[in-house]
Amino acid sequence: MSLRLLSVDAADQGSQRCRVGPAVMSALGLRLGSPLRVSAAGGTCLCTAWPRADLAEGFLQIDLKCSSPSLLSHPPAHLSLDPDQLTPVPCLKLRGVKVTVVVQSVDFRKNTPRHLVHELVKDMLKGVYVCQRHVVNVEDFDTEIRYIVVEDTNPDSAEAGLITSKTGVEITGIQTLRHFRAQLQDQHRVPLGGLEEVSASLREMLQLPLLYSGTLSSLGVSCPRGVLLVGPPGVGKTLLVRRVVGEVGASLVVVRGPEVVGSRPGESEEMLRGVFERARAAAEEGPCVLFLDELDSLCPRRTGSSAPENRLVAQLLTLMDGMNQSDRFLIVGATNQPDSLDPALRRPGRFDREVIIGAPTLEQRKAILSVLCERMPVSPSVDLAELAQRTTGYVGADLSALCREAAMHAIRHNSQGSEEQAVAMKHFNEALKTVRPSCLRSSLGRTELPPVSWEQIGGLDEVKLKLRQSIEWPMRYPEAFHRLGLRRPRGVLLYGPPGCAKTTLVRAAASSSHCAFLSVSGADLYSPFVGDSERALAQLFRQARACTPCILFLDELDSLIGSRSGSQTPHSVQTRLLSVLLNELDGVGLKTLERRGPERILQAEGEEQCHTQQQLDFHEVCNKDVMIVAASNRPDCLDSALLRPGRLDHIIYVPPPDQQTRLAILKVCTEKMPLDADVCLEELATQTELYSGADLENLCKEAALLTLQEESMEASAIKHKYFLQSLHKMSPSLTAQQISSYQTTHR
Amino acid sequence: MSKPALLSLHQALRKGFQTLESNQKLWRSVLAECTPLMVSLGNLAEQLRALSRVQLSNTPLSAFPDLQQCLHFKLVQATDTVLGKLSEKMSSLQAARDAISNQVSGVFQVYEQNMDSLDLLTLTERSATAPSAADMMEWLQDAERHYRHQYLRRKTLLQTFRADDLSLLESAPKRWESLASPSAEDRITDTLFKVSLFMETQ
Repeated sequence: MSLRLLSVDAADQGSQRCRVGPAVMSALGLRLGSPLRVSAAGGTCLCTAWPRADLAEGFLQIDLKCSSPSLLSHPPAHLSLDPDQLTPVPCLKLRGVKVTVVVQSVDFRKNTPRHLVHELVKDMLKGVYVCQRHVVNVEDFDTEIRYIVVEDTNPDSAEAGLITSKTGVEITGIQTLRHFRAQLQDQHRVPLGGLEEVSASLREMLQLPLLYSGTLSSLGVSCPRGVLLVGPPGVGKTLLVRRVVGEVGASLVVVRGPEVVGSRPGESEEMLRGVFERARAAAEEGPCVLFLDELDSLCPRRTGSSAPENRLVAQLLTLMDGMNQSDRFLIVGATNQPDSLDPALRRPGRFDREVIIGAPTLEQRKAILSVLCERMPVSPSVDLAELAQRTTGYVGADLSALCREAAMHAIRHNSQGSEEQAVAMKHFNEALKTVRPSCLRSSLGRTELPPVSWEQIGGLDEVKLKLRQSIEWPMRYPEAFHRLGLRRPRGVLLYGPPGCAKTTLVRAAASSSHCAFLSVSGADLYSPFVGDSERALAQLFRQARACTPCILFLDELDSLIGSRSGSQTPHSVQTRLLSVLLNELDGVGLKTLERRGPERILQAEGEEQCHTQQQLDFHEVCNKDVMIVAASNRPDCLDSALLRPGRLDHIIYVPPPDQQTRLAILKVCTEKMPLDADVCLEELATQTELYSGADLENLCKEAALLTLQEESMEASAIKHKYFLQSLHKMSPSLTAQQISSYQTTHR
Repeated sequence: MSKPALLSLHQALRKGFQTLESNQKLWRSVLAECTPLMVSLGNLAEQLRALSRVQLSNTPLSAFPDLQQCLHFKLVQATDTVLGKLSEKMSSLQAARDAISNQVSGVFQVYEQNMDSLDLLTLTERSATAPSAADMMEWLQDAERHYRHQYLRRKTLLQTFRADDLSLLESAPKRWESLASPSAEDRITDTLFKVSLFMETQ
C-alpha cells in the first residue's frame, strides 16, 4: 500500500510533525512523537510521528522543518510514497551542535551582535530533532533568521539527535540567504558538453585569485577581472557561466540589459551602480561573478553627442576602472555581436580576456549529444558519432531541440501502441527534418533540396567517380587521405554544354554526403548599393565556415563572377565579386572571431584510441574547410586566376552523352513509363546523336503526351512510333562545333 | 489493562491545561500592559525626531543654553526607562512561556515513562466527554510552540531597536500590534473549551 503525499496543514507548519495513519505507525513501531526519517526522491527529512487527527490511513503529510538541503529547493514531487521510505531512527539528546545561520539580509548580519543571534538560534532550535548536514527551516518564526544548517553534532552520530535546553549551540558562520541559495543550486547543475577548454580557462580565472592570493600579491600583479565571451547565439555562453560559477561555488549576480535601463535620466546609471554594489557585497562572502548578458544591447558603440546609452557606457567603464584590488569579483560579459560593442570596453584592465566560442565542431557536437542523451532512454541503435556528423552547423541549443524533438516523436510513437520505450535512430531522423541548424538561419543560400541519388543520373560514370573522389571520399575515408598526405580539394568546377546534368550531379553529391549545402545565384548577391554584393558574398563564406563541412554551390559561375581580362568595365560588380571570391578561397587566414573548437594537431601514435574515435579526429581535421563547387557552361569566360590549383583544383568536364550514356539516360527517364513491347531504346539512343540529357528527357515526355493525344486518355502503353514521331519533330540542342570547342579549351 | 498509566497521563494533561489556562490569562494581561508602553515609545521617537528637525536658535528659546542637548538627553533617558519597563514585561512573558514549556515537557515525560503500557489505540480513543490523549498532547504542544514563537518574535523586535534608527522606533507600536496572531490565540481558547468537560471530570 502506498501513501499519498498531501500538503501540510496550516496548523502543523513548523511543528516538525509527520502525519500518518495509526496503522502505519503501529506497523513501524512508532510512538507518539518519536523521530522518523522520510526518504523522498531527492533527499531525506527528519520528522516526528503523529497520528492524523481523523485517523485515516493511506495519507502522509510532512512538515519539512528539518530536511536535507536538496529538499529545500526541490520539495518532494512524487505524490505517493512507499511505507518503506519511512524509517524510525534512534535518537539521543545532544550535548552540542555546530550550526551555520542563514539570514535574510546583509544588514542583519552586520548590525546584530553575535550573542543575540546565538540566543535566538538557541531558542529556535529547542525541541527540534536534527541530523548532521540537514537544514532546519525557521521561516515560521518570521524573523531575519531563515535557515539553520546543522554542520556537526556532539555526540557525533549519523542518526538523529534532539536539541534540549542543555544542548550547547555553536555558531560557525552567518551567511545571507542569497549566498546560501547560490550554493544550493550548485548541486543541481546543468551538464555541459564540448566546452571543456573554455570552461577550464574561466574556472582558472575564478579560482586563481582565491587559491593563490598571496602569490599574486607578492608578484605584484593584479589578477584578470574581466572576460568577454563571444559567440553566435545558442552555443551556450550563458549556460557556461552558470555552470562554471556553480562548480567553483561562487555566487552569481546577473544583469540583463533591459533590466537596468530606466526611463528617467540617470536612472539606468544608478541601477548599474546598484548592481556593482550588490556584487561587491556578495564578494565579501566568497567568490562572485557579475554576469552581463547581452552586453551589446547594454553598451553599444558610442555615437553622436548625448545619446542616453553613451552615459551608460561611460558609467560601466568608470565602474570597471573603479574596481580595486580588494573587490574580488569577476566580470563576465557575453555577446554575439562583439563588433557593435564600444571599443573602449575591449582593452586589458576592463575585459582582459576575450574567449571565443564558435559553432561546435564534430567532436564537440558528439560530446554535447552524449551529455544530452545521458538522461534519455536511448536505444543502442543510435550512433552518436553518425548523428554528430549529420548535424553540421547545429549549435548546442539546436542539438537540445533535436533531442527534445526526437523524444517527442518517440512519445507519439509509443502512445500509438508500440512497446518500445526508447528513443531510436528513426526518431532522430524524423527530428532532423524539423530542426534546422540555427547557424544557417537567415543565410543567403540556404536551400532545401530534394535528395537525389547517384542512380537517378544515367551514365557519366567517370564524372561521378571524380565528384565522389573530391566530395564523398574525404568525408568517408579521412584516415586514408591523411595517410597519403592528401588534402581535400578546395574547389571543383564542373563545365560542359548546357543540359548535361551538371546541377543534378551537384545535388546528388550534396545529398550523398551529409554536408551543409548552400547555393547562391546572381539574384541573391546583386544589389543596387555599392559594396553590398561583396559583403553578401563574404557573409556567405563566413556562415559556410561556421558550419563546416559545407558545400557552397555557385551555379552559372561565368555570369556571376566574370573575368578581369575580357570585360569592358574594369571595376564592375563582377570583378569586385571575383576579388572577394579569390580572397575567400585562398585568403591569408581566418578572422579571429571565426575560431572554432580547440586547435588540434594530429599525432601519428594514436594507437590506444579506439578506431571510431580516431576516425572522428581525422574527420574533424580533414574537413574543416568550405568546399566550393561551381558549374559553368562557358569556362572560357572565367578568370584564369580562379582556375589555378589551390582554388578550383578539380576541373571536371561533363561531356554530352555518348551512345551508351544516352541509353542509360533513356532507361532512367522511361523507368516510370509503361512502354510497349516494340520500343527499342537502343535504336533511339543511336538516333539521338548530339542530344543532351535534358533533350532526352523531353523526348520521353513528348512521346507520352503524343500517345495521350493520338489514342485516348485510357492509353496504357507508349508505342515506339510515337517516340519516332516526336524525335522527328525535335532537333538536338547541341552542335558538333560547340562540343569541339569545349574539348579544345580544356583538354 | 493500561488504566493506571492512562490515568496518570490524564492527570498530567489536566495539570498542563490548568497551567495553560492560567498562563494564557497572565500573558494577555502582560500584553495589555505593554501596549501603552509601546505607544509611549513611539511618542518619544516622534519627539526625538521633532527635536532633531527644529532649529532652537531661531526660536525665543534660544536664550536657554544647551537646551537641545538637554532635551535630547531627557528624551533618551525616557526612552531608556520605557525600554527598561518593557524588558521587565518581557521577563514576565518569559516566565509564562517557561511555565507552559515545563508543564508540557512534564506531560511528555509522563508519556515516555508509561510508553510501553500505552498503545496507540488507547491513545487515540475518543469519548463524548474527553478528547483522545494524542489530540490533547498535540494541542498542548501547539500551544507551547505558539508562545515560544510569540516570545521570540517580540524579543527580536525589542532587540532591533536602536537609538539612531528613529523610523523603526516610530513604527514600534504598529509592529508590536502586528506580531500578535489572534487566530492562534483563538485556537488555544478553543482548545481550552474543548477540554473543559475533561477538566471537570476529576
